[in-house]
Amino acid sequence: MSDHAPPGGPLRWEVTAPAEPAVVDTVQDGLVALWREGAVDPHVALRLELGLVEIVANIVEHAYDPAETGREITVVVEVAPGRVTASAWDNGRPTGIDLSTVALPEDDAESGRGLAMALAALDELRYERDGERNRWSLVCLR
Amino acid sequence: MTEFAVRIDGRGVGVVTPQGRLTMVSARSLRTAVEELVAGGAPKVVVDLSETTFLDSSGLGALIAGLKTCRQAGGDLRIASPTDAVLAVLQLTNLDKVLRPRESAETAFDV
Repeated sequence: MSDHAPPGGPLRWEVTAPAEPAVVDTVQDGLVALWREGAVDPHVALRLELGLVEIVANIVEHAYDPAETGREITVVVEVAPGRVTASAWDNGRPTGIDLSTVALPEDDAESGRGLAMALAALDELRYERDGERNRWSLVCLR
Repeated sequence: MTEFAVRIDGRGVGVVTPQGRLTMVSARSLRTAVEELVAGGAPKVVVDLSETTFLDSSGLGALIAGLKTCRQAGGDLRIASPTDAVLAVLQLTNLDKVLRPRESAETAFDV
């Protein structure tokens, strides 16, 4: 599941797994070693991790019809000079979300914070339909 | 795997200590732990976050749900000793005003 580029290239980690809640743990376990190897500042690491966890959780909860099978998500994380980036692809339905309208809900809301928190944590968040898949692109500057 | 240590202290305050990450994987267990304390007669609950290494929106949702459950039963839910990672998320969402971090589980209900 780990794939390191040649010396001089970015550190890289990736996984393809069923789009189920357990994939959140898989991703976070993978990040532990990547952050250590890349000597990533803990604050930058936390921001990227929070953004990525929220996007992955959003995919698991919202990208599929309840009865849909064959759910698959691919996550790639890279540590490069000046930035850490992540991409997440899923084979779910297109999302109709307009990220420019996302805001935190009222303080007593029990859900609906995920995308707003991802936007607040990250320096860049983009969504696009990529063929039959959704692609989310995340960037934190370091 | 996130574990939840649950106890009732000498003053009848329920104390839940999540050990690990609070995300969509574990948030349901936190809700259940708080609900069981309240149902068992302990509507004052402290969530001790000193061993919680990560908090996301699902974990926050579980804390807010627990707060409502406790208040509806005439009690309250307070959080104590958050780690730096958890405090950063509380500040990012401005929920450190609603869930004001207390110094320790032992003193969380002193004031």
